[in-house]
This record gives sequence, structure tokens and C-alpha cells, in this order.
Amino acid sequence: MEHQQSHLTDAQFSELLLGTKPTAVRAHLEACTQCSDEAARVSLALGSFEQQSRLWAERRAASQPILDSQRQPIFPWLHRPQAWTAAALAIALTAGIGVTVRNDISARKDQPRAVQQQIAIAKPVPALSPSTLKADNELLSAIDGELRADESAPATMYGLTSTSRGVRTRVSRKVSNE
Amino acid sequence: MQLVLNPDMICCVTAEPTLTELDDIEALDRVYRSRLLRFVAYSTGDQDLAETIVQDCLLKAYNARDSFRGDCAVYTWLAHIATNLMRDHQRTRKFQFWRRVQKTAPDLSELSSLLPSGESSPESQILARERAEQVSAMLEALSPNQRTIFLMRFIEEMELQEICQATGMQISTVKTHLHRAVKAVRLKLGGRI
Repeated sequence: MEHQQSHLTDAQFSELLLGTKPTAVRAHLEACTQCSDEAARVSLALGSFEQQSRLWAERRAASQPILDSQRQPIFPWLHRPQAWTAAALAIALTAGIGVTVRNDISARKDQPRAVQQQIAIAKPVPALSPSTLKADNELLSAIDGELRADESAPATMYGLTSTSRGVRTRVSRKVSNE
Repeated sequence: MQLVLNPDMICCVTAEPTLTELDDIEALDRVYRSRLLRFVAYSTGDQDLAETIVQDCLLKAYNARDSFRGDCAVYTWLAHIATNLMRDHQRTRKFQFWRRVQKTAPDLSELSSLLPSGESSPESQILARERAEQVSAMLEALSPNQRTIFLMRFIEEMELQEICQATGMQISTVKTHLHRAVKAVRLKLGGRI
């Protein structure tokens, strides 16, 4: 009577599905039509599934080529992500070293030119003879004189006179005398 | 004079065919491919992915055959490798995207003509197919862990200890998943309300 009121537990049902029927379960199934129907339905469904899925898998597996130990990847390490990471690092390092070396070489090439420029700047001017110095000074004085002489020309040319009476240039005085 | 076998000798005798089996990749393929394919196909719900995983699994097992200590059945070891491969695939986003786009569930309808002679009448074939499809639909409703453990226990008929070895779970965890799966099965297939 007790078996009829409390149905099979999940654990008992699992045992039943696995094909083991303890005495208590067997007795309950004989007495309880609800549990025996349930067990029959589930067992049948699982049996059909097991059968059909096995046939499906066998058929599917048979349609595929059998694995061959010789047909393994040529470079198995290429299929590992670590290999790609290592390769990327190696490329980055090589590129970095290359750029550094190139900069270093170009800096070394440029160095003599810079040094020569520095030497050229630092080179003392050759000493001039006193006669050359005198001639240069005379030339410079002559140029200065010419420039001073032309200083007031634009003002006189355009009829402009200086407002300050006392201050008259040499050239303006000369022009007024004429 | 009576010969007495000690346990070490028994271990040696049982381990020998296992090593031979692993050394021959073709034998490994022939014996285990279809069984693994069914397990992986119904665990993932994707037959194309299952084929890739099974291929990888067999190659991995062959390449790592030296690491097999023989402390469990070869199928348990293979199921362990396959379970890890499935987890790896499920983790990647790429897989999740493709899974949504082009998931190809195993199609049992093509097999109705292959059923044994006991169920060869058209009516019984249809009924059997419907029952199998009910189980297939029920499996999809389970969580990945429940599905894997349910398949291992009731379809592959593995022992609880073997399931623990294959999944790397504690026995209490395996029992919990199994309990929930059986509850769902009874609800969906047993006709209980």
C-alpha cells in the first residue's frame, strides 16, 4: 500500500533506466500502474533514441576518411597560438633593433660633417697686413663719407627744409651757399 | 602445483590491449569514432562541430598516448579529452557566433529505414522516430552539464566514477546534475504533470 502512495524516487527511476530492478522497485512497479507506464514510456523513448543515434553516428563516421598518423599537420607548432605570439614578438624585436641600428649608423655618418663645420667656425681668420688694413679703413671712410653726403638729398630734392634752424648739414649748407 | 595470480600481473594483462589500441590510430578511429561522435554531437547539438572535435580528440589522444597511464578505460580518457575540447569551443566567442548562425543538429529522420527488422513496419518506424526526437528535444532543454552527464550515464552507460574522471567533477556534483536531468526527463517523457 505504501508503494502505491509514494511513487518511485528519481534515484530509483535512474536505477530502473539503467536496467537494475531492486526488489522494492519491482514490487512497486507491479502495484503502481502510473509508475510502470512512466517507466515503460521513458525506457522506450531512450531505447529508440539510443538505437537511432547509434545508427546515425555509425553512418556518419563511416562516411569520413579514417585518420592517418602520417596526415598530421606538417608544422604542428604553427597551429598553436603561442607560436604566433612568439613570432609577433620576434618580428617586433627585429624591427626595433633594425631601426635602432639604422639611426646609430646614420648618426655616425653625420658626425664628421658636423665636426668639420665646428672646426671651420673655430678656425682663426688669417692676420691682415697693416697696409691692407689701412686701405680697408680708407675705403670704409670713403663709403661713410659718401653716405653722409647723400643723407639730406631726398629732403632738398622734394623742397623739404628742416624746422630746426641751428642744425644744418654740411651738404645743405653747401647747397644754400651755391 | 597451483598457479596464483597476483594483482600486478592482472594489471599488466589488462593494460596490454589498451596500449596496442592507442598505438594504432586507425584502430582507435575505427573503434571509438562513432561512439564519440554521437556523444559530442548530442552534447553540443551540432554535428559539424562534433566531427571537428572528434577528429581533434582522436589526434590528441594518439599524440599523447604516452601520457595515458591506463588507470581508466580508453573511452573514459577519450571522453575526458572530448569534454575539454567542447568546453574550449564553447568558451570562444567565435564559436558562439557560428553556433547561432549555422548550427546543424543531428538529423535522425534520415535513419528510419535503417531500423532493425523488429521495428521495420512503417508505423513502428514513425513511432520510434518520434520517441527519439522527443528525447533529442528534451536533451536540448537541459543545461550543457546535465546533458553531458545524462548522455554519459544513460546512453554511453558509463559508471559514476568514470563520469567523474571524464568530466573532472566531484561525484556529488555529478549526482546533482544527474538528479536534475532525470527529473526533467520524467517530466517531459514520462507524462507526469
